[in-house]
Amino acid sequence: MKYTKVGSTAVVAMAVLALAACGGSSSGGSSSGTKKMTLMVGVTGDPFYVSMECGAQEAAKAAGVELNVQGPKEFNPVQQNPMLDGVRAAKPDALLVAPNDVTASAKPLKNIQDDGTKVVLVDTIVKDEKIGVSRIASDNKKGGEKAAEALKELGLTKGKVMAISTDPGVSSVDARVEGFKAKAQELGFEVLETQYSHNEVSIANKVVAAALQANPDLVGVFATNLYTAQGVAKGVSNAKKNGAVKVVGFDAGPDQIKQLQAGEVDALIAQQPYEIGKQGIEQALAALDGKSVTQNIQTDATIVTKANMASPEVAKYLYKKEC
Amino acid sequence: MNTTKTRRGAAPDAPQKASAFSMVRTALSQTSGLTFAALIIMVIYFSFMEPGKFNTISNFDLLAQNLSILIVLSVGATFVIATSGIDLSIPAAVVLGEVFATKALGWFTVGEGTAVDVTDSETKLSYILVALLAALAAGLIVGVLNGVIIAYMHVPPLLATLGTLGSGLGAANLLQDGTNTGTSALSPVTSGEMIPGLSNIILIAALTVIVGWVALRLSVFGRYTLAIGSNEEAARRVGIKVERHLIKVYVLAALASSFGGFLSVSYFGTTALSGHTTDNMQAITAVALGGTSVFGGVATMLGTLMGALIPSLLKNGFIIMGVGAYWQDVAIGFVLVLTVWFDQMRRKARTKQ
Repeated sequence: MKYTKVGSTAVVAMAVLALAACGGSSSGGSSSGTKKMTLMVGVTGDPFYVSMECGAQEAAKAAGVELNVQGPKEFNPVQQNPMLDGVRAAKPDALLVAPNDVTASAKPLKNIQDDGTKVVLVDTIVKDEKIGVSRIASDNKKGGEKAAEALKELGLTKGKVMAISTDPGVSSVDARVEGFKAKAQELGFEVLETQYSHNEVSIANKVVAAALQANPDLVGVFATNLYTAQGVAKGVSNAKKNGAVKVVGFDAGPDQIKQLQAGEVDALIAQQPYEIGKQGIEQALAALDGKSVTQNIQTDATIVTKANMASPEVAKYLYKKEC
Repeated sequence: MNTTKTRRGAAPDAPQKASAFSMVRTALSQTSGLTFAALIIMVIYFSFMEPGKFNTISNFDLLAQNLSILIVLSVGATFVIATSGIDLSIPAAVVLGEVFATKALGWFTVGEGTAVDVTDSETKLSYILVALLAALAAGLIVGVLNGVIIAYMHVPPLLATLGTLGSGLGAANLLQDGTNTGTSALSPVTSGEMIPGLSNIILIAALTVIVGWVALRLSVFGRYTLAIGSNEEAARRVGIKVERHLIKVYVLAALASSFGGFLSVSYFGTTALSGHTTDNMQAITAVALGGTSVFGGVATMLGTLMGALIPSLLKNGFIIMGVGAYWQDVAIGFVLVLTVWFDQMRRKARTKQ
């Protein structure tokens, strides 16, 4: 009796494990010639990282590299670190990783690097500068500059503009704000004090409502991320200022594109995650082949408007939900 | 004292004359032989599929290190679930523990800055002890709140702890202004090796399990806990002060959680305000998977240990095999349901006999 039960558990457990194995890329094969790489994204399912994965897959395919993609369900070092330790045990030739925390992610990455795996940091970084043969990320400052340029492209030449960001002290959005302020000033706009939304739609909404009360002649707002842009758009339409106040959002995932199509925002600044993924593979290959590696690569940003989003040069930078 | 008799009467599965052999047998039956079998199968399977990668000392070492904090939380959760209660506020106690610990480090002035900024070699035992006490104070607050709301205000545990979960996480974010604090001052606690070759964090988790096992199996505290979970009214009639005991149980659980928070700051080198949101579900899964009845009255510490191990082991093995992220979740969910289902069938069969 007891034996049959244990036996049946064994059979079912094996079946499940086999099922899971089917879902994976073929592994365990002793094709020693092909290079194996792992891409550990910041969070699974996010269009930014999906696009990065697409770029990496394409470059991997072209170079005959076997690429395995992993990622935590939340952007969270507590979830990502154990996965990194798993990658360490798997000993890939190279790891492309978007670390979840500048401090907490350092330890597992150092272990992986010490074991001889080439580590390339994509999108996010860790403080420890010894980690990573190459670091590839968006130039957020340039993204902010593009946001100011977008206002000009939308027909504005002068007037009051402002940035609404998530929180002070977040390096990526701080750089966007910095770039925006400098460029806007250079272009002849009057730049108001930056306000913060704490990444909440409702707060962004209130902030922009108050700003419009104080400055009825506000002509442009740069919202540094998705939720902030949603709140800003709502605030602007509540104040019946649609059209009079131009809103520039950041990133170009499906949700942002919807905002653009609905006329809630007038322009988007697209980063180039596809490019980051592609260059990540290329840098990893260069490191493995002993060729010269570029330590820091900053990718460009693109202005997306309703008018240009269909053109192929712009459309290729819109983020993807799947490859 | 004169509690010996009531204890025997109240605890349904108090070991009677315990020979070494029967103790092992009880331990195994309680921890559910099937869970254990499933665990062994997984280890063999992954070792076979990824030889030299999965079954290496360094992999098992890291696996254990990554599991240690969850194990500490799960030991506390075992007691709560043994009373037929539930504690959803684990993430709040963990995060508040982290926040209190780092705030306490901020009390020490060191040079230009505070103890938060010292390197791991400059840190002092006094900083660590004060941070630990502060973390435990956070747990005490959450635990007393939970206990009073549940035992005296008669709010069901699910809702009471859901409330303290929200308030606690909110309070932690308020204290931190929504941003995390990084510090290496506590890192020697988990990264040091009091026993050469064994990280302290694993040792700490192992000791917690042993303390938890003793408290559950061999102490009056454990007997009362099981008695209340088995039949609260009966426990009251035999003279157990149920309300007071429930407070103790929730305090114990919250202390374990905030201790987990202290370990987490040490291990990750930073507070993680949004990093523990699923800790409650992971701990409850570990406890239930291990064979502790969610209806109370039956609990097993070794089972909890295995229950914590299974999902992490699967995840680790799948990553090494290169299984896709979504497939991992599907497979892990499947294994969890299957293991519990088989265990239920086995129990039913046993009750019929």
